[in-house]
Amino acid sequence: MDIYLPIAEVSVNLFLVLGLGLGVGFLSGMFGVGGGFLMTPILIFIGIPPPVAVATQTNQIVASSASGALAHFRRKSLDIKMGLYLLAGGIAGSVAGVQLFAFLQATGQINLVISLCYVGFLGVIGGLMLVESVNALWRRYKLGKTGVTPRPKRRKRGLIDAMPFKVRFPVSGLYISLIPVIAIGAMVGILAALMGVGGGFIMVPAMIYVLRMPTSVVIGTSLFQILFVTALTTFLQAAQNQTVDLVLAALLIVGGVIGAQFGARAGQRIRAEELRIALALMVVAVCLKLAWDLVSDPADMFELMHVTGAVS
Amino acid sequence: MIARLLTLLLAAATFAGAAHSAPEDEIQPVGVVAALTQDVVEIRSNFTGADFLVYGAVTGLTEGDDIVVVVRGPQEDLRVMRKIRTLGIWVNRAPVRFEDIYGYYAVASTRSLSQFATFSALRREAIGMEHLRLSAPETQREETRFGVGGVVVSELGAEVVDYRRAIVRNRARDGLYVESPGGVEIIDGGLFRAAVRLPPVTPVGEYALDIYLFRDGVPIASRRTTLEVRKAGMEQVIYDFAQRHSALYGLLAVALALISGWGAAEIFRRR
Repeated sequence: MDIYLPIAEVSVNLFLVLGLGLGVGFLSGMFGVGGGFLMTPILIFIGIPPPVAVATQTNQIVASSASGALAHFRRKSLDIKMGLYLLAGGIAGSVAGVQLFAFLQATGQINLVISLCYVGFLGVIGGLMLVESVNALWRRYKLGKTGVTPRPKRRKRGLIDAMPFKVRFPVSGLYISLIPVIAIGAMVGILAALMGVGGGFIMVPAMIYVLRMPTSVVIGTSLFQILFVTALTTFLQAAQNQTVDLVLAALLIVGGVIGAQFGARAGQRIRAEELRIALALMVVAVCLKLAWDLVSDPADMFELMHVTGAVS
Repeated sequence: MIARLLTLLLAAATFAGAAHSAPEDEIQPVGVVAALTQDVVEIRSNFTGADFLVYGAVTGLTEGDDIVVVVRGPQEDLRVMRKIRTLGIWVNRAPVRFEDIYGYYAVASTRSLSQFATFSALRREAIGMEHLRLSAPETQREETRFGVGGVVVSELGAEVVDYRRAIVRNRARDGLYVESPGGVEIIDGGLFRAAVRLPPVTPVGEYALDIYLFRDGVPIASRRTTLEVRKAGMEQVIYDFAQRHSALYGLLAVALALISGWGAAEIFRRR
């Protein structure tokens, strides 16, 4: 059954989109990832115009991060002060990102930039996940279940500690410069606007390894920041570029929300290493497909674009 | 629709009857009447394209006459970019802006155009993919060549042809530019019909349908009717809302996402 999307102006199969939403939602519930970095490229593959795919996926992340952020808020497992500073950076990044998006759209380079961002990030993340999960399997095979996971090496005092504008964060027990905090927030805001992702896959490692926040508050704080940044990005994309498709968003939200609940339950029961390898392979596959499309000879050497009003 | 078809057939029959009673040597007046099976195509949530018929009658149709139906959709400006390999990847470069390009363009005729129409007639009326006007004013200038003033020359030279072909090829792939020789069927006594197919990606707007009667290579009569393609129902409401009250639309999108995300978590928690 086909359904016409009023903003994307294409017809898609209703069950295909719902099924994809469920599938990606299931994975995101199981692994605790947002799923945006998988869903946006898939939407582009099935023919949704990239600007609509990115903006609408941001809207879906608002829904998927809302419940998680609320749960952490109730448990107080987040550093609100840190979250607010990250958010300040995130707002700047999001506003800049939406402007950049509009500019790239007007000059006809948006598809290329989205693809390049995805190839870069998916390649790095998929590769790291694959290496990590293969290592984990190898350890289990070698040592049985007694193997103690080695703690990641802590960074020595370095560049971050030498930066000015230091602020105390009591919840995280940190006294650090605001510069890396704002920078990380801004980076995530730009990525949300350009790629339609929450940015947790960048922020969580950055919080742990760069800011050295305690892991107990990392997830809650990142969800807090993601919720507000994606909400703002959705609003700005809708207000400035008119690229948020409510019908598509509703389908993605329904699929994603239900899938995530089942995924979370399944994740508690199933041993995750094998599945993590599957996820890593999927990420790498999406990355390779996007990379192949960039380098292989295109079907048509010309591309037609609507002229958007702003730039002549 | 059947009632309208019948009225039209009746009208055509009386036309034809009147023509027959005229003396043989008198030149018959020619005229075209035409109608569509629908004046409005509505895009709703189940829209996967639309089919309709153009039908009508020609008075004074003689052996060797041909009928052409041209459907022209709403015009818009287009940017066409050429993919050029840069550092190993294909990058869109060399943009050319084309103005007033039809979003939909279909030509149906009784035979292939070159069999019955002169080059200049087709060019003048812009009938057929080779005669469709695809102009990029920013790259054009007028020159005097061989003593003829006002010759339009493209600064791109021969390359502009590649761009034009790209537009037609791209649109044809989506079913937006269609040429169907033999697409007009003459049934009997001056009655004709032609099927028109609008693809799922059909742009909204006003469509003009021109029906031409060709004799001795030139059009001797024509008739224009119009068609409107518009979004309807929820699709219309959502689209208008997004365009006119963008900020409010954005707030609504965020609010709906928050409510559904939070609501789902509550529902599943209680289970």
